[in-house]
Amino acid sequence: MSPADLSVDLGRGLVLPNPILVASGTFGYGIEYGDVVEVDRLGGICCKGTTLQPRIGNITPRVTETPGGMLNSIGLQNPGVDAVVAKYAGTWAGWKTPVIVNVAGESVEDYVEVVQRLEGVSGVAGIELNISCPNVGRGGLQFAIDAGAAGEVTAAVRRATDLPLLVKLSPNVGDVRPIARAIADAGADALTAINTLSGIALAPSRRKPLLGNIYGGLSGPAIKPVALRIVYEVSQVVDIPVVAIGGVTELADVLDFLAVGAVAVQVGTAIFADPTLPVRLVDELTDECERRGIASYAELVGTALPPKPGAPSSKGVEYRP
Amino acid sequence: MTMRLVRTELVDSREILPGQWLQSFLAPELSSGSRAGQFVHARTGDLSGLVLRRPFSINTADPATGVITIHFRTIGRGTEWFTRLRPGDTVEMLGPLGRPFEVDPRSRHLLLIAGGLGMAGVRSLADEAINHGRQVTLLFGAASARDVYPSSLLPDEVEYVIATDDGSVGHKGFVTELVPDYEGWADQAFACGPAPMLAALARIAEGRRERLGVAKLGRKRGVGKPDVVGSTAARRKAFLQVSMEQNMGCAVGACLGCVIMGTNGVPQRVCREGPVFAAEEVAWESGW
Repeated sequence: MSPADLSVDLGRGLVLPNPILVASGTFGYGIEYGDVVEVDRLGGICCKGTTLQPRIGNITPRVTETPGGMLNSIGLQNPGVDAVVAKYAGTWAGWKTPVIVNVAGESVEDYVEVVQRLEGVSGVAGIELNISCPNVGRGGLQFAIDAGAAGEVTAAVRRATDLPLLVKLSPNVGDVRPIARAIADAGADALTAINTLSGIALAPSRRKPLLGNIYGGLSGPAIKPVALRIVYEVSQVVDIPVVAIGGVTELADVLDFLAVGAVAVQVGTAIFADPTLPVRLVDELTDECERRGIASYAELVGTALPPKPGAPSSKGVEYRP
Repeated sequence: MTMRLVRTELVDSREILPGQWLQSFLAPELSSGSRAGQFVHARTGDLSGLVLRRPFSINTADPATGVITIHFRTIGRGTEWFTRLRPGDTVEMLGPLGRPFEVDPRSRHLLLIAGGLGMAGVRSLADEAINHGRQVTLLFGAASARDVYPSSLLPDEVEYVIATDDGSVGHKGFVTELVPDYEGWADQAFACGPAPMLAALARIAEGRRERLGVAKLGRKRGVGKPDVVGSTAARRKAFLQVSMEQNMGCAVGACLGCVIMGTNGVPQRVCREGPVFAAEEVAWESGW
């Protein structure tokens, strides 16, 4: 039997060779790990969050370990979209692995402008919108916490580009489903779930928060149950593909996320401990499919979701007394 | 040597000072492929709760035996995990990482300055310099005599001068107060320790040229373009090089967690542009 088909279609022509991606912010621009990681074997690379203008990011400390996870508050440090394209796109164009540029902004116009500058750039396979940013036009409220704002920025970006478009959901909301639906209705090709959970840690003296920015985003195994719940909820209310992220450290986590409806999985924080993990997960998923005797990993998707209510049955008519 | 993942084996583990450990690992790739000032990112075995590796300066590296040492204080669950290792246990290390100290080929007299655990950051430079026939004076500062790094763990050739906060041994006061006595003798200085100590040293180094009237190293043909922050040349020409510390995530430059602010207004990654910087590359007053 030939190896199982691991390819995944995220829409608009973005076909990944396998469903294991590396998450934005944990893998730089794909070059930092050098020979330690075989980037050509990854399913996709989501690069560091990219903005219109260069950003120096937040004051330090920016990271700290927490039980089963870590908090980070990098503050979107990046050299700006033009520098990112000039410096890295040429390298990306030579890779088999699709590079998805993670895009952030403080206004709808910011997002649109960044995306327009990525349109048609060789080496850029898609866009992932980070909408967990304060929306200056709406008093600093995050796009991600409001269905209207999330839909608006998605629609504006959709009009501005033909690139495959993923939108990354924030878990820091009451009910994520209306937001997910609004983003899907606005023309996103796929959803990424989830971004980090907002949290704080204290300095050892307990006289102040530890991180320079006070707040940080929690990631790592600690957040996996939250991510699993959100993917479970979202994949039942949208028809577009869902890419899961949150605490993946082993194959069992990948299988869990597939079972609740994700078609692909991003590995993030775990890369810091084990940079070779994502490539190993590709091998382990291949082996798992072989062990189960299935031709495509797609058969593992959605097995834990409740059955969708189908058309009303006519059988009852026959047996009506 | 480019970084790689290396499987190492613990061969010795000792508590050399209260709460401070010196561990030796068999790691031939690292012992021969690394330079003074570089570090390793070591993976703990407890993956249930500890999701990050731990960075350690390469304290010493002996290509003849294939052994590297690390020196650390127990400050949390990660470092405590390391203290429970026994000979024969394996630890996976990513390294060598970061940019090393750069000694100007003309420098004969090196002044090393270490505050507390900062010893681990400059320790290997003492070996490297002595192997190259240079003279080394090492100024060391600690809270009191019980925290003083044992002189038996240093090469005989090193002149070892101690300062303690309580005066229980050596000079009573900060180690930085010893520096003026040596700044005329020293061709270059290399330091690692708490940030306030390094900032104080940077201020001393800044005024040195005016006090001594010495030419800046490497500028004999006049003042050219300033060197790029993080470049080898910038470090080699600097009188004072500092090894910086910051909370670290990936240690390869991907996550941008471990930055300090550079004088060029751009955050510098301690893991990639550093950990060794020329003192004038660091924006000491930035509050970062």
